[in-house]
Amino acid sequence: MKRIFILLFLFCLFFSTSLWASSGPTLEIKKVVDAVLKVLNQPDLDYAGKRLKVSGMVQKFINIDSISQRTLGVHWKRASPEQQARFSRLFVQVLENTYLNRIEDYSGGTVEYINERVKEDKAIVDTVFVSDKLEVPVQYKMVLQQGVWQIYDVVIENVSLVRNYRSSYGDIVSSEGLEGLFVRLESKLAEPAGSGKKE
Amino acid sequence: MRSLLTITLLASLFISWSLPVVAAEVMVEKSSVETDDFDAAFDDDFNDFDDPPGGKARPLISDPLEGWNRGVFWVNDKFYFYLVKPVARGYRVVPRPVRRSIDNFFSNLATPVRAVNALLQFKIKDTGTELGRLLVNTTVGLAGLFDPAKSQLGWEKKQEDFGQTLGYYGVGSGWYLVLPIFGPSSARDGLGIIGDYFVIDPLNYVDLKRWEYFGIKSFDYVNSLSLDPDSYEGIKRDSLDPYLFIRAAYAQHRLAKINK
Repeated sequence: MKRIFILLFLFCLFFSTSLWASSGPTLEIKKVVDAVLKVLNQPDLDYAGKRLKVSGMVQKFINIDSISQRTLGVHWKRASPEQQARFSRLFVQVLENTYLNRIEDYSGGTVEYINERVKEDKAIVDTVFVSDKLEVPVQYKMVLQQGVWQIYDVVIENVSLVRNYRSSYGDIVSSEGLEGLFVRLESKLAEPAGSGKKE
Repeated sequence: MRSLLTITLLASLFISWSLPVVAAEVMVEKSSVETDDFDAAFDDDFNDFDDPPGGKARPLISDPLEGWNRGVFWVNDKFYFYLVKPVARGYRVVPRPVRRSIDNFFSNLATPVRAVNALLQFKIKDTGTELGRLLVNTTVGLAGLFDPAKSQLGWEKKQEDFGQTLGYYGVGSGWYLVLPIFGPSSARDGLGIIGDYFVIDPLNYVDLKRWEYFGIKSFDYVNSLSLDPDSYEGIKRDSLDPYLFIRAAYAQHRLAKINK
C-alpha cells in the first residue's frame, strides 16, 4: 500500500515537472511581452537604445518557417528551396523593422490576458493592449513545435497580419514575380530605420 | 417553365456579378464562424495553402477599378500630407483632454447613426446601450463632453454603420472603392456612408448653411485626426505597397465587423 503511494507521489512529481517544462502558450506570450515592455519602460533609454535592445528579442518567439510559408501562400510551393530561404530571411527582417518602428509610438500601456484556447498543437491567446489612449484587442495564433509554443500570426483588431501580407505580397508576385518581390523587400530594408516620421 | 427558371437564374447571376452594389451574395463566412470559432480561425490559415482551381488565390476583396482607386489614393495621400496633417499637427497645441472631450461630443452627437443601425440589425441590446449612453452622456456627461457611461457604468460604444447593416442583410462588399477624403471603402460601404451621412445623421435636420455644415464636419475630422498616433505614416513607411496593405486591412476589418 505504502509503495503505491510512493509511486503515485513520484508519478505526480514527474507529471507536474513535465508540465512545467512544456509551458503554456500564454506563458510564452507573457515572456516576450514582459521582456519588451521592460525595455520600453526604461526612462533613461532613448529610442535608438530601446531599438537595439529589443531587436532579436521577438524573433525567438515567432515560427519563422510557418509565418513565411503562410505569407507566400500559393506561391510558396512554386518557389525553389533557395527562393523560399531567401524570402524567409528578407521577410523576417522586414517584420522586425516594422515591429521596431512601432516602438516610437509607444507611450505607456499594459497587456491584459483574456483567454487561451488550446487544441492539440495549435492555440489562440486573446489579449488586450490597454493604455490611456486606446484599447486594442490583439490575438496571437500559435503552433507547438518541438515542445515550444511559437507565434505564427498576430491578429490586431480582427486584422490578421499574415493574411494582410499574403494578400499584398500575392498581388506583387502576380504582377512582378517572386524576383520583383525580392527587389522590393531589399529596397525597403535599405531605407534608413526609424525615419520618415516626425512628431 | 424550367427554361424560365434557368434564365432567371442566369440573369440573377449576371446581375450579381455585374452590379456589385446590389449583389446580395450570401455571406459564406458567416456560417463558418457559427459552427466552430476555433477551427474556423485556423482553417483559413491552413486551407489557403493549396492551389485553388483557378491557379490564383481568392482575393480578400475584388478591385477591378484599381487604376482609378490608386489615383484617388494618391490624391488623398497628398491632401493628407500637405493640408490635413499640418493643420492637425498645429492644432495639437490644444491640450489632449480638451480634444478628447470634443471628440466625445461629436461621437455623442452621432449616437442616432449607431442606434438606428443596431436596431436595423435587430441588435436590441446594443440599441438600448446606445440610447442609454446618449441619455447618460448628454446629462451627466455635460452635453457629451465626457463619457461617464463608459467610465462609470462600463457601457461600451457599439460601432455600427449602414454598411454593416447592408452586410447584415446579405449584401456583399462589392468592388473596393477609394473615396475622396473618406478613404478606403467599397460599393456597399460607400452606399452606407450616404445613408449614414445624409439620411440618419441628425446634423442634416439642423438648419445649417452649407459652409457651416462643412465647417463642423471638417473640425470633427481634424480633431479626431489629431488624436490618432500617426498610424497612416507608420503603414506608409513599413509596407511595400501601402495601397495593397490598406486594401487588405480594410477588407478584413469590415468582414469581421459584419460577422460580429
